[in-house]
Amino acid sequence: MSVEFQNVVKRYGAATAVAGISFTVESGTLVTLLGPSGCGKTTTLRMIAGLELPSEGRIAIAGRDVTTLGATQRDVSMVFQCYALFPHMNVLENVCYGLRRSGQSRDDAARHAREGLLQVGLKDYEARQPSELSGGQQQRVAVARALVLKPSVLLFDEPLSNLDARLRRQMREEIRELQQRLGLTVVYVTHDQQEAMAVSDRIIVMNAGRIEQQGSPRDLYERPATPFLARFMGESNPARGLLRRLDPATVRVRLGDCEIDVANATAADGEATVAIRPESIAVERPGAAGVNSLAGTIAKTSYLGTHMEYSIDTAAGVLFAICPHVERALAAGEPVALRLAPRGVLVVEG
Amino acid sequence: MISRAPLAWSVAGLLAAIALPWYALQEGLDSGAWLGGLWSSEDYASGLAQTIEHGKWWLAPVLVALVICLATALMQTRQRRGTLLLIASAAGLLLFAAQALGIGLRGWSTGWLTTVFGELDSRQVGLGAGGAVVMVALLSLLSIGLALRGGFGGDAFVAGAVTTVAASIVLFTAWPILRILIQAFQDGDGLLAPALLVERLATEKIWSLRCLAGGGRCGVAWNTLFLALGCGIGTTALGLAFALIVTRTSFGFKKTLRVLTVLPIVTPPFVIGLALILVFGRAGVVNQFLEWSMGIEPTRWIYGFQGVFLAQLFAFTPVAFLVLIGVVEGVSPTLEEASQTLRADRWATFTTVSLPLMRPGLANAFLVGFIESIADFGNPIVLGGDYGVLSTEIYFAVVGAQLDYGRAASLALLLLVFALGAFFLQRRVVGTGSYATISGKGDSGLPTPLPALARRAAAWVALPWAAFTLMLYGFAFVGGLVKVWGRDYTPTLDHYTKAFAVERTADGLLWTGAAWNSFWTTLKLAAIAAPLTAALGLIAAWLLVRQRFAGRSALEFATMLSFAVPGTVIGVAYVFAFNVPPIEITGTAMIIVLCFVFRNMPVGVRAGMAAMSQIDRSLDEASLTLRGRAPQTLVYVVLPLLRPAIVGALVYGFVRAVTTVSAVVFLVTAEYELATTYIILRVINGDYGLAIAYSCALIVLMLAVILLIQFAVGDRRLGRRAVALKGGRA
Repeated sequence: MSVEFQNVVKRYGAATAVAGISFTVESGTLVTLLGPSGCGKTTTLRMIAGLELPSEGRIAIAGRDVTTLGATQRDVSMVFQCYALFPHMNVLENVCYGLRRSGQSRDDAARHAREGLLQVGLKDYEARQPSELSGGQQQRVAVARALVLKPSVLLFDEPLSNLDARLRRQMREEIRELQQRLGLTVVYVTHDQQEAMAVSDRIIVMNAGRIEQQGSPRDLYERPATPFLARFMGESNPARGLLRRLDPATVRVRLGDCEIDVANATAADGEATVAIRPESIAVERPGAAGVNSLAGTIAKTSYLGTHMEYSIDTAAGVLFAICPHVERALAAGEPVALRLAPRGVLVVEG
Repeated sequence: MISRAPLAWSVAGLLAAIALPWYALQEGLDSGAWLGGLWSSEDYASGLAQTIEHGKWWLAPVLVALVICLATALMQTRQRRGTLLLIASAAGLLLFAAQALGIGLRGWSTGWLTTVFGELDSRQVGLGAGGAVVMVALLSLLSIGLALRGGFGGDAFVAGAVTTVAASIVLFTAWPILRILIQAFQDGDGLLAPALLVERLATEKIWSLRCLAGGGRCGVAWNTLFLALGCGIGTTALGLAFALIVTRTSFGFKKTLRVLTVLPIVTPPFVIGLALILVFGRAGVVNQFLEWSMGIEPTRWIYGFQGVFLAQLFAFTPVAFLVLIGVVEGVSPTLEEASQTLRADRWATFTTVSLPLMRPGLANAFLVGFIESIADFGNPIVLGGDYGVLSTEIYFAVVGAQLDYGRAASLALLLLVFALGAFFLQRRVVGTGSYATISGKGDSGLPTPLPALARRAAAWVALPWAAFTLMLYGFAFVGGLVKVWGRDYTPTLDHYTKAFAVERTADGLLWTGAAWNSFWTTLKLAAIAAPLTAALGLIAAWLLVRQRFAGRSALEFATMLSFAVPGTVIGVAYVFAFNVPPIEITGTAMIIVLCFVFRNMPVGVRAGMAAMSQIDRSLDEASLTLRGRAPQTLVYVVLPLLRPAIVGALVYGFVRAVTTVSAVVFLVTAEYELATTYIILRVINGDYGLAIAYSCALIVLMLAVILLIQFAVGDRRLGRRAVALKGGRA
């Protein structure tokens, strides 16, 4: 167990940033703290780093209680959102900094720093000033600087938010590849759900200072426990449906004129909120969809190259659907019939 | 560090208690005579000897506290060790303070202690080296204890820095001011008599308003207020005009206007007053011209309100300019452009967007002008004539024939109330909203040119004024180079030789000039004070900007508050607080240095805070997560990026120490005479030539020092892009 939080609370005066959370991070895994801005994820990360000390609760890193220890005394290092490269030092001096502070000789530090730069593919850049590097290169220097200390836990605070979209994908793949190659324990903070799903072994979703749900990316996407999660992890349409249990593992959900049998072991009979994934709605012409379908009318359409997006008025409310068939696009005002794939209909409350 | 630090400090404290004289020595520590009498002599004895041999039993608990702290070094659990350390050192400090304050030169220091405990036939003089080291050790142990218990982010260095800054502000700012309060309520024998304060303050001489009714003079309180209001409004208006001209017009001599901002920093505050005498005084050029051309009898017109007001306006307008130029530049051009795209013409934009955005800056400039004016001592004493103000009144109460400390304290209290009143009023005005319009985002808009009317008004007011200011400085310079101003304009270097003569004799160089003594003392004390001022100011700034701890806002408030306390008040307060035990340093060089440091520290704090808030906080945090402890982070990351602020703080610390008058005028002695007080005395004696020559020499010296420090500290090395401070992002 590399990181362990037990009922950790963080207050700033009257405001509570983190309201009692517990979780663990296993060695060698990449765990993401995900949530909207202000949910307490960055505060949580900073409490792991020791940049904030908790108001209540207990934090252990690598089995050692570090609750009252400051950042310097903990075996963690961090990659900052804005990289925080020291502008008055060159690349090598930046990477050496932590090694020198840990008591290594100048030569040892330089040797280890060069190894670190090699790992991130910046072998020939050691004499550059940070201001002479591109955003992606600065990011790699920041990673190398944290990496060379061989910390028990490596922390990333929204590391990709200052990069453009193309570079962002490349960097997140590099970070994931590096983590798996070196077997690092990483805690990663982001507000971008796609980024979280792409890099993580496990995701901890936070909201308003609490943990909403934690699990693998697939768990969270396919079995969200709350309406918040269904909304936050990918897009979803909230709708009211009527539930009736068929057997211990299945409920039948009635939405307008159509009924869908959904795998669910807990929901009670009666009215409930369901979330419908837009990609699981098949938009058909009326008649082509068969009997068990939801009738509607196209309200808005958008052409996005790879797919179509529709807003559709139905008896269950306005549904947002994604349709890959750009070649037979529908126009606003056309009547349609919607078929719902059972795995895209999620009972989130009730 | 954590494990060794408590051990080291306890041992240091105990060693000091055993091997250093506890009390202050008449002849100073460096004589070495105390070594023989460490145990036997009551004057020289160490803390331990005083306790055992000389019957000072009340020192025993303090020493026991130190021993307990030493014992904690053996304990294992961090938390428990911290708790015990905290309790022992806090108890030690409390007992230390209690005995230091409770037992003075004549046994128990107050009546009720005598009644409770009976007569004490022992006595205590001021603290010496031993006592001081023990106190510092206990303070350090206290901060280590706090850090061990998870306070201050678990960092002993931060904890130590906070306690150091807080304790020194309490000792050398809060305590003296508290003493003024006490003194104002005491009669001549030290008895409390609240009615006396009313009696002292409720007099005609202070509150009379006869001047408004025509005939007669107003009281000094009103005089001070009228002057300060006039000075605050005047300097703010002029400063704004200058700032607008420099930033918003295509005026060609902007560099020259910038020079104006340096002058008041390097000039002793009364130089402008002197120059005004040369122009408007009885022997001044204006009077002489009028007498020569029209036979008008020379008047003493300049002496009084007009003279002091003019002098302060000239002297402090550059300060207001300095404050306002940052504010005017800070108004985001984008907001003004937005206003213009919303159908507002230039004039409407200026009055409805730009000016309101400058409101905090205007309030700030007014406050500075107001406080500079009420604190000003040099100009009123040079030009005031019959027009008395509080600062001169206090001076005469302390050094004059009256020698009435109670009255001085009461007047100082009044002055303090005025200053703090202005301070709180300003915070009310600014406190209603933050107008910080400089953001990290690029602001590509162009500053909107001034509307024609405002431009013309600014130009007509400001430019003649600037020319006149420069002319006054010119007169001041020439005044030192002629025989007798007004009578004999023969060029001469007499005044300079009189002040700075050096004779070569058989025994080497002989510094025979009249100014050398005060000159060297000033340089020496200012050179000691400047690095201390800079260090304390920057550390306080670092704590305030970068650390979060309980009492942070109280500390910030205390440093800001001491900025508002007029120098005259500080000077008087130091006299009252430090001429009796436990800290007995009146008449020494140390009290002057301390006064310099704590008088000028707030400037260092402000400069440091401004500079530090430009450096992204994540740089510090990166260093912390990279195993750099707080002191290392400070040394390797923060300080290299703060070089311009260090230069600023050093220059300010030095230059203000050299040019200050109001505070130190109470603290100088024949042995430790300072340049400014020497000059003031020359002026009072009517010896203008020497005074002017000396002032010019000081100005030149200050400029040289600024250049030297700039050169020595150098620029920060940021690679190609000097402005890329935000985490190194290009």
